[in-house]
Amino acid sequence: MRVNVTVNGAPMTADDVWPGESLLYVLRERLGLPGAKNACEQGECGSCTVYLDGLPVCACLVAAGQAEGREVLTVEGLASGEELDPVQEAFVECGAVQCGFCTPGLIVQAHSLIAGHDGVPADAEIREHLAGNLCRCTGYEKILDAVRLAARRKAGS
Amino acid sequence: MTTIQQPRILGAGVDRVDGPLKVTGQARYPNDVNLPGMAYAAVVRSTIPSGRITRMDTTAAEKSPGVLEVITHENADHLGEAPATFIKNPQPPLQDDAIRFYGQYIAVVVADTQQNATAAAGLIEVEYERHEAILDPHDPRAERIKDPWGEDTAWGDVRTALNRAPVMIDQTYTTSENTNNPLGLFTTLASWDGDTLTLHDSNQWPNMIQQVVAAMFGLPRDAVRVLTPFVGGGFGAGLRCWSHIPLAVMAARHVGRPVKLELTRPEMFTGLGHRTSSINWIRLGATRDGRLTAIEHESLTTLPLDGDEYEPCSSVSTWSYASPNVTARDQQVRLNIPWTNFMRAPGDAQGNFALESAIDELAWEVGLDPLEIRLLNYAEVDPKTGRPWSSNALRRCLEVGAQRFGWSNRNPEIGSMRDGHELVGYGVAGVSFFWYQQPCSAKVIVRGDGSAYVRSAVTDIGTGTYTIMAQLAAGLLGLEVDQVEMQLGDSSMPVGTAAGGSGLTAALGSAVHDACGRLIQKFVDLAGTDPFSPLANVPFEDVAVSEGRLFRKGDPTRGESLARILAVHGLTELSADGNSTPNSPDQLGMTPAGARGARFVEVRVDEDLGRVRVARIVTVNDGGRILNEKLARSQILGGTVGGVGMALFEDTVTDKDTGRIANATFGDYLIPVNADIPDVHVEFVGEPDAFNPIGVKGIGEIGLVGVAPAIANGIFHATGKRIRSLPITMDEVMD
Ligand code: FES
Ligand code: FES
Repeated sequence: MRVNVTVNGAPMTADDVWPGESLLYVLRERLGLPGAKNACEQGECGSCTVYLDGLPVCACLVAAGQAEGREVLTVEGLASGEELDPVQEAFVECGAVQCGFCTPGLIVQAHSLIAGHDGVPADAEIREHLAGNLCRCTGYEKILDAVRLAARRKAGS
Repeated sequence: MTTIQQPRILGAGVDRVDGPLKVTGQARYPNDVNLPGMAYAAVVRSTIPSGRITRMDTTAAEKSPGVLEVITHENADHLGEAPATFIKNPQPPLQDDAIRFYGQYIAVVVADTQQNATAAAGLIEVEYERHEAILDPHDPRAERIKDPWGEDTAWGDVRTALNRAPVMIDQTYTTSENTNNPLGLFTTLASWDGDTLTLHDSNQWPNMIQQVVAAMFGLPRDAVRVLTPFVGGGFGAGLRCWSHIPLAVMAARHVGRPVKLELTRPEMFTGLGHRTSSINWIRLGATRDGRLTAIEHESLTTLPLDGDEYEPCSSVSTWSYASPNVTARDQQVRLNIPWTNFMRAPGDAQGNFALESAIDELAWEVGLDPLEIRLLNYAEVDPKTGRPWSSNALRRCLEVGAQRFGWSNRNPEIGSMRDGHELVGYGVAGVSFFWYQQPCSAKVIVRGDGSAYVRSAVTDIGTGTYTIMAQLAAGLLGLEVDQVEMQLGDSSMPVGTAAGGSGLTAALGSAVHDACGRLIQKFVDLAGTDPFSPLANVPFEDVAVSEGRLFRKGDPTRGESLARILAVHGLTELSADGNSTPNSPDQLGMTPAGARGARFVEVRVDEDLGRVRVARIVTVNDGGRILNEKLARSQILGGTVGGVGMALFEDTVTDKDTGRIANATFGDYLIPVNADIPDVHVEFVGEPDAFNPIGVKGIGEIGLVGVAPAIANGIFHATGKRIRSLPITMDEVMD
């Protein structure tokens, strides 16, 4: 089947999509957008998190057909040109990245938390919001720092 | 190299140079590479642990949509032997009908899409002749290997010392199997061009993959190029050439197209090895005031039928404490299990749990503070040889840690520190990590504009090698960090060693140090041939570097920029090769010490439920000179969380009858998540290490070690329950 989807603001089309195919596969293997990562393929790690019509989802759990006619925003679409999104900036600055494989999913997830928040979320709220995102490298603490920093900057601006 | 100024950027918490690529999704991991005409592979794994294949029917799979090829042992290429590198590599897959463990690759299917390949793989019918599998380490039929590495150690007379000891601890400590589980699914994308082969591959040692694949496929080494600029973590999983790699290469040859083989999460559990379980028998003899008179440490770990593994669990007991009598012995037992393999701090993680638990038991036995007993038996020198350490700040780790943690607030009585429903316990553990370094090389090049680049085949598994090597080279060449470009993760570059054993920073750093020294020498020589150069007739010893310039020490005006020297001599660039080999302990008259550390943990145990919560951890480490504090801290934090996982969650469960790993998903194999993580305080102490020119000791693994015993020791303080097996579960605490 054919899937039409707007990704990072650009209309895109994927042909010959198998009906059981995931949005993640279509993004990575058919549309040349490997930013979202596959680390479990069954909704257990959060590495594949993207926005679907403004809501963060595990792209490995969304059938490609469900994305028909909808808007997807991936980690590749967060920066404007050379300028990093504040969440991306904070991840680099706080040392919240090691191997970086969990990073795209975490950034989208953290971005969605901050976007829906006026102030700086409480630690418990951050932990809860990021509970579905596994990281095997960093020990999470710097990720928390990064979220706090990005939220502070947004609240201050 | 007295002429090179003390590098000024070392230690600075520079942001990682690969950060922007990673946060924008632009870093290309092997999984992310797609090539024109690429096909996809899916593997089929055995569903029995021992026996042989009697029949395979691939008809339906071959007719399945999109399928290009099905390869089994009946039509597989005959491949050459896989050479051992640091350690054995799995022999080529699909060479016979024998089944040695549940999950062994028995076929690979190639199709136009991943879905088609996976669907067809499920259509292959297999019949087996089943043999009885040996799955229990205590099975008397299992082959046992004594002293597997010829490293069993003994000094003094342990038997007599134990017999005479007024106080003795005699206990058994066990640890379960753990699985590395880097987040990145290991992937090989194999692409042939005539007789040359390119691999985009997840690993921790590109030159090793190159060497092994070349041998198996009968190619000269330089006909194989392995690209690993980024890898989604490893924790040891990428230190061997696993069987999916030759499968992808074979598949690509069969279909005449590039083939991508990405393992699934369950396949990561059987295909890349795992940390062996361990049984540790420890006997400590001591005086009544807690001074050690004997340590006896024996261990038993597991092996697959056809592999080897280096897990000397007992060796920690030969260097951690001063004792006049020591015996350390290891044994391995062969089972029908997937390969055991290095996982962050192999051997040490398990052995340290046993030793640090036993030392704690001794402290209680003689009525000493657990911190005091560690200081009392401190190994001022290498207890085995009597030689001084190249550096050792363990004492400082313990003292600083105790202070930061507030150890003096501890009420020594068991169960005395309560907070509502929770019993509070304080636990401590010391860590003396092993030392490891291998030869390595690098090339450093200064371009016409005065900027530089550094090349080596090694890969950065996420620890920060790109960044710290850029800092190091920048410091040595008198440049800014952003003037140094790093090119790593390509086997065609100068031969590099493994990103493993916490040994890469010393190995590559020493090679970069060597190359930079030679390069500066070349610049000085070049300037010396130019009579108009302000540096003419200035001897090498008197030259310093800073801000991209060479100048006479004490007279910064008398100098010339690197760019200008190149321009004057009509050169577009100048390069130098650097090599490093580990120093000889004999020559230096010292024992190279790995990193040292101390862990202080506050645990809280719910007295009704037995639930253990780690409330806070203070981890103090001696890593010699720390090249980048921010990245080093992150290594220790990640290791600490790995240690919490080992202590409380991680357990690879193998079904006793079928040999099948029963929990091979992230849903079932528990690794710590955000909410499990306590408040962690990280600190570094110590001096530059004397064993290598840059003064570093690797810290990639030590963070994990010691966390588990500190937690177990804390639980004892809280509850009086001594738990001697990992992971620690609620039922044991309540028992
Ligand atoms: S890949 Fe989607 S949640 Fe793990
Ligand atoms: S940075 Fe490696 S998994 Fe998070």
